[in-house]
Amino acid sequence: MAITARTRLVNPRLGSYFGIFTAAFAGLVLMALMLEQLGIDDATVRFTLLAGPIALYAAIGFGSRAREIADYFACGRRVPAFFNGLVLGIAALGGAGFLAFTGSLLIVGVDAMCLSMGWCAGLVCMGVLFAPFLRKFGAYTLPTFLGRRFESRVVRLLAAIVMCGPLLLLLTGEARFAGYAAGWMLGQSDRVMAAACIVAVAATVLLGGMRSLTWSSVAMGIAAILALAVGASLIAILVSNLPLPQLTHGGIVRVITRTEIARGVPVVLAPPLAFDLPAEASAPLIKRFLQSFGSIGSLSFVLMSFVVTAGIAASPSLLSRVGTAPGVYEARKSLGWAVLVAGIVLLTLPAIAVYLRAMILDQVANQPADHLPAWFQLLQQAGIAKVEARLPTVKLSDISFERDAALFALPIASGYPQVLVYLSLGGALAAALAALAAGLLTTANMLSEDVVHGRTGEAMSDGARVATARAALLGVAAVVVLVTFAASADPLQLVLASLNFGAGVTFPLLLLAIWDKRTNSWAALACMAVGFGVTTLAMLLGYAGAIGLPGELAGAAGAPAALGAGLFLSRITPAPGRNALDIVRDMRVPGGETLYDREVRLLRLRGRTPA
Amino acid sequence: MIERSERKQYWRHTKVQMLTTLLPFLAAMIVLPLYADTLNDKRVLGIPLGYFLACHGFIVIAFVTIAVFVNRQDAVDHWHGAHEDF
Repeated sequence: MAITARTRLVNPRLGSYFGIFTAAFAGLVLMALMLEQLGIDDATVRFTLLAGPIALYAAIGFGSRAREIADYFACGRRVPAFFNGLVLGIAALGGAGFLAFTGSLLIVGVDAMCLSMGWCAGLVCMGVLFAPFLRKFGAYTLPTFLGRRFESRVVRLLAAIVMCGPLLLLLTGEARFAGYAAGWMLGQSDRVMAAACIVAVAATVLLGGMRSLTWSSVAMGIAAILALAVGASLIAILVSNLPLPQLTHGGIVRVITRTEIARGVPVVLAPPLAFDLPAEASAPLIKRFLQSFGSIGSLSFVLMSFVVTAGIAASPSLLSRVGTAPGVYEARKSLGWAVLVAGIVLLTLPAIAVYLRAMILDQVANQPADHLPAWFQLLQQAGIAKVEARLPTVKLSDISFERDAALFALPIASGYPQVLVYLSLGGALAAALAALAAGLLTTANMLSEDVVHGRTGEAMSDGARVATARAALLGVAAVVVLVTFAASADPLQLVLASLNFGAGVTFPLLLLAIWDKRTNSWAALACMAVGFGVTTLAMLLGYAGAIGLPGELAGAAGAPAALGAGLFLSRITPAPGRNALDIVRDMRVPGGETLYDREVRLLRLRGRTPA
Repeated sequence: MIERSERKQYWRHTKVQMLTTLLPFLAAMIVLPLYADTLNDKRVLGIPLGYFLACHGFIVIAFVTIAVFVNRQDAVDHWHGAHEDF
């Protein structure tokens, strides 16, 4: 039988391995359920469901040691499309998708869908615009690709610096989400748990780099999807007799709409550029669920969708995964699986928000303030929900809800065993850890490969490169711990800021690097400088209220400015050299050897390692 | 392996493929939420149509878009001899 390039490198036992993990995870949850029913104290159950899965992820990470440099930086280029897509889908959503998106939907209704549309569209754009070409080039980091493409160490260094800042914002945001979920599970401070999560993730990927990251993230993805599916399906069965929350919550949306109209919930219309996503603290439920553009104006909705699309499509922490696919075709297919995985999650999360909102409307709104249901009182005691009723009857707008708690408030409201509450938290934690691990490794690899190694241009052995990358990983983890303790900003705002920089700087830069062969190093430098400058300025002025554009949409100003600057400079400066044009031409054709691997091979033949 | 003379045609074909994939998709991303409110009076599978299109419809469109792109681009690669070597 002929062995093809598409299949020859793939481990045929991967399905069995992750089947064993899934069984172990399910066994752990069932054991926790039994412990709870046997009356074992709550702290033991919580600890089992927090430490058990993390121990499994860590065991997978430790067991996936890197044996050679391609293992550490690209997982040996043998990750099948499905597993790659699973990790891409879950890491793209992260804690922001699981926790903040669900809560935002509960509070502001369909206006929050600008995020879900952006996430989905971002993965599509990544698959069409960037992934196949970056896989053909095969560089371990984006700045390495840009440095080679523009034949410029300055571009490589500047790209690494410009990308590391936004990645730090993303890392801090995801660490805070992870800390929030872990903090709820252990009853400890969010910040302390965030630091513990960062340390755990860094330890998991330290030995194996991308190899550890890939296989532990696959486990995290499976855990996140299972945790989400179990809670939502149980409630869907109660409501509609069908375990399909993605389809059956539609009927509840109609009930919600009718009830809101009957209860006189006002129609709120926001100006086109208004942008008011709920903050981390409790926010009131002031608008109708199904009414569009009440919190986010119509123009802001469209701009936010595009900013998230561009930010996800050009996310360095996601694009570095593309190089792990066995080939260009598999890289494209990975994005197909990623859209499917993210799509299933993004169809399930609205169901949770809809069920919870329906319960609040049905059992809390228009009820006497001193006769609220027991589950709501539990949420009040936990600080998740608040009622500020001046009248004896509670109105919907009197109810405030903590944004990031909506995901696990539903099992509490439904009266399910505590294990299901912790399972929901464990799912969100797994998604946040997957995003955190991807960001951590990408940042460390950029610092080691492009700042330390790329700046000096010294020939280094494979062992030295991996050692530098490991040291950088520990350094980045330490910095993220410090920033997480120092930063008080809303984690969703941090993630959105990171996406804005991705949209305003990285997206136009990659677009020009791949799709416009006339772009030279001057144009790339101008693109980065203008994109970063305009995005930063628009963000600062937007947050200060000095311009009409909200700070959360700064990338919408940065992207066209960066694109314009790059196109203009490339037309008034000399054309790129013959070597750069050859790289572009070769990169655009899927067939043939991976360009970076070929370069490394040729340099080794000449007795040198690549600069 | 692709012929040198074929590269230009291959890239033109790839660009057309990219534009025909992304332009309708991005147009749907703008149009669907803008008209969601007015479509909510109608229902499909018991779900308000505007909500159904913005939530379920868009995700289905995204998946179909990328799936069709992957298959068609693979066909373009084979047509021009630009596919990966087996």
